[in-house]
Amino acid sequence: MTTTLERPEPTLPDDDVLERAPRKPFSVERLAASLTFMALLVLSAIALRNVGISVPDMIASWDNAENFFGRVGGLSFPEAGELLGLIGLTLGLVLTGTLLAAVISVPLAFLAASNTTPGRGWRMTARFLGVLARALPDVVLAMVFVLMLSLGALPGILAIGLHSVGMISKMFADAVEQIDEGPRLAIRAAGGSRLQEFTSGVLPQVMPSWVATVLHRNDINLRGSVVLGYVGVAGLGLEMSQAFRSLNYGLGLGIALVIFGLCVVMEIVSSVVRAAMLGPSGGGRRTWADRFGPRIVAARGRPARETSSSPAWSASPESALRRPWNANRVRNVSAGWVSVIVVVAAVWVCDIAWGDFLTVWARIPDVAVQFWPPTFGVYGADVMFEALRETIAIALAATLLALLPSLLLGSFAARNVAPTRSARSSARFLLVGVRGVPEIILAIVLIVITGLGMQAGTLALAFGGIGLLGKLIADSLEEVDRGPERALVAAGASRTQVYVGATVPQGTRALIGHSFYLLDTNIRAATILGVVGGGGVGYYLLNASQGSNYGQVTAIVLMILVTVLVIEGLAMWMRRVFR
Amino acid sequence: MTLHLTTETATAPETETVVRLTDVTKRFGDTTAIDGVSLTVERGEIVVLLGLSGSGKSTLLRHLDGLETPTSGSVEVLGQDVPRLRGRRLRTLRSDVGFIFQQFELVGSLTVLENVLTGALAAQRGPRLGVRSYPKALRLTALRHLERVGLLDRAYQRADTLSGGQQQRVAIARALMQNPTVLLADEPVASLDPESSESVMSLIREIATDEGLTVVCSLHQVDLAISWADRIVGLRRGQVVLDLPTAQLDRERVMEVYGRVASSPAELRAIQGVAAADLLQAGQA
Repeated sequence: MTTTLERPEPTLPDDDVLERAPRKPFSVERLAASLTFMALLVLSAIALRNVGISVPDMIASWDNAENFFGRVGGLSFPEAGELLGLIGLTLGLVLTGTLLAAVISVPLAFLAASNTTPGRGWRMTARFLGVLARALPDVVLAMVFVLMLSLGALPGILAIGLHSVGMISKMFADAVEQIDEGPRLAIRAAGGSRLQEFTSGVLPQVMPSWVATVLHRNDINLRGSVVLGYVGVAGLGLEMSQAFRSLNYGLGLGIALVIFGLCVVMEIVSSVVRAAMLGPSGGGRRTWADRFGPRIVAARGRPARETSSSPAWSASPESALRRPWNANRVRNVSAGWVSVIVVVAAVWVCDIAWGDFLTVWARIPDVAVQFWPPTFGVYGADVMFEALRETIAIALAATLLALLPSLLLGSFAARNVAPTRSARSSARFLLVGVRGVPEIILAIVLIVITGLGMQAGTLALAFGGIGLLGKLIADSLEEVDRGPERALVAAGASRTQVYVGATVPQGTRALIGHSFYLLDTNIRAATILGVVGGGGVGYYLLNASQGSNYGQVTAIVLMILVTVLVIEGLAMWMRRVFR
Repeated sequence: MTLHLTTETATAPETETVVRLTDVTKRFGDTTAIDGVSLTVERGEIVVLLGLSGSGKSTLLRHLDGLETPTSGSVEVLGQDVPRLRGRRLRTLRSDVGFIFQQFELVGSLTVLENVLTGALAAQRGPRLGVRSYPKALRLTALRHLERVGLLDRAYQRADTLSGGQQQRVAIARALMQNPTVLLADEPVASLDPESSESVMSLIREIATDEGLTVVCSLHQVDLAISWADRIVGLRRGQVVLDLPTAQLDRERVMEVYGRVASSPAELRAIQGVAAADLLQAGQA
């Protein structure tokens, strides 16, 4: 400390140097993006104030809650057999829907990835279809399909399937764009066709990341399946909505608890599967593989080198035709069979009315006529736009509310930031727990406690947002280059200084990207919240659909579509500018 | 094995021309990668393209397999006008020409055997995934090639569990799977340690002699090139600056040619540095 004081005051350099030094380049686009960003922040703050979340009120409503839980008089569940059937149906429906989306996403990703697409036009079309699928909420799709198909699992499967294509095809395409082009080039050089290049050169490389994407989406869809019940899709969600509607709160909350447990279990199962799949192969995300790949390869290579005395099967090419049953093969083959059984069981349990696929075409014209032209009906444009504004306000406020806690939790969950191992694992554990709670269920419970309105919706979304954003932040902080951190540590910086000076600046771009992703997700989620009474445009959506005012449904869907596309475009632009 | 020879090239089987480049120029934007190169390679010749990085060796090799099309000039391989080939016929030509890459370019998550089998894709209709999707006869052939490169016992391991030298030998087995007439190798040992380099280079030479393959291989190590090739073609800035059989060459001669053509002191130092590194390697080996 004293030495620094003895140093001479730094003198300003000659004016000459300042003149010769290059100016920081000025970009109008960057300025515009910064202003938009600030405007969004201010709007979010205003929205948050308008939602009127106040701690005293919440404490006051605690009586409400006690009152309510007193009235519930204990949880109740459907009888075991029925419950098991419902769980099976819900899981099967969600899994089948997700798989349907995965199947559709493969050709779409092939067309959308810049390195495999046959042309620019194809690429734009595929990307646009993805954005469109993402912008159409699965609830809306379910409403339409419930109208066209007989009741049962099929409307839910199709709704989940089509909506999930948006996210899955984008992630699939991103994975394809990240591959090592070498093996593909080698197959081309050997005379392979384009399709063979894809199956032999691309597919094996992207497989781990694709499976991880599908598992991740499956978790999301399971949480989302609750709300599908509100529009008549079979499963736990339907039972729950009926219970709440008939004011049987004990049963409703009981089912909600079951769904929550299911989500947590599913989250754990899929993360175990992901780890088992990515771990030994060292595949998946490039950054991840780079960090762990060499060590794993070395560890796996060693035993092979030691047994240089050849195994019996490799005595001759003829004897080597029979593949030896080593631990690896046993593992792969059993994993393969288990997944086949799970998929077959999932489809079987849905008891799909295949006949619908033949009859549905005849009904499309009738249904389509009902949905056109769009109209605001009895509500009028004022009410509708007010509702839309409310929806956007909920999304903005929830995103803002989630930001700080996510940054805090996410930082503690990052390996290179967490002060101790236990701090990291408890932060990670907390994030998994938070993510496991379906936002809809949280919203329903909050609505029951605080009454209908924006407050419950905002809180529910903010809570869910912490789980999502916190995890994304933790992951991207762990992915930053360790070099600058080490340099600051070597220069004697404190832990906080390293965090602020090296870790966060490198993660800023990802942070902005993830925040916009959350806003994007929240806009969609906020429309759905209204379906269960969390405020906003979703309420009118459900009303219109239940009152068979399909012109109104179309009008509301168009409003949502435009909003989502605008936010999506804004997010894309911001991510590009702040790159 | 089918040969696609036009009547002109098939007249004299003794000195049958397999590769004929005529005044080939390739530009990428403003940079000229290949500048008016003319070159012929006869059947069974083992030719090294020698040059520093950026001299156009890789680009030249890629033209021979139709992976690049020339800006001007003509590329004829096995009697085919390569830049004009499309679809099935291009793929047939590519399957007659094996290509070995500096970075091996195996699919790390597939088994060694499946990687070798991908060499036979051109002969298969439609996509293939999994060892079992290839006919048994092909699997047996692949295993024979693996035995030949000394890696039969690794057949069912993931390719990325092998060392660099082993991976390059798998890549050689994959090229053999194509039943090629011509073998192209782009800096095949640049990513390998001296010991593996030695074994990979002698393996290529041995297979080429046994099968009567025509080989065009790019290298940057002068000594390795002289001891290995039948003929050396020196490239500098996309132009041929040297083309002689190794019998008429010794190290000094090559360095002299290189020294004379090196325009800047830095370039000369770079060449000498490479040569010095070669000497060091030779001393260790």
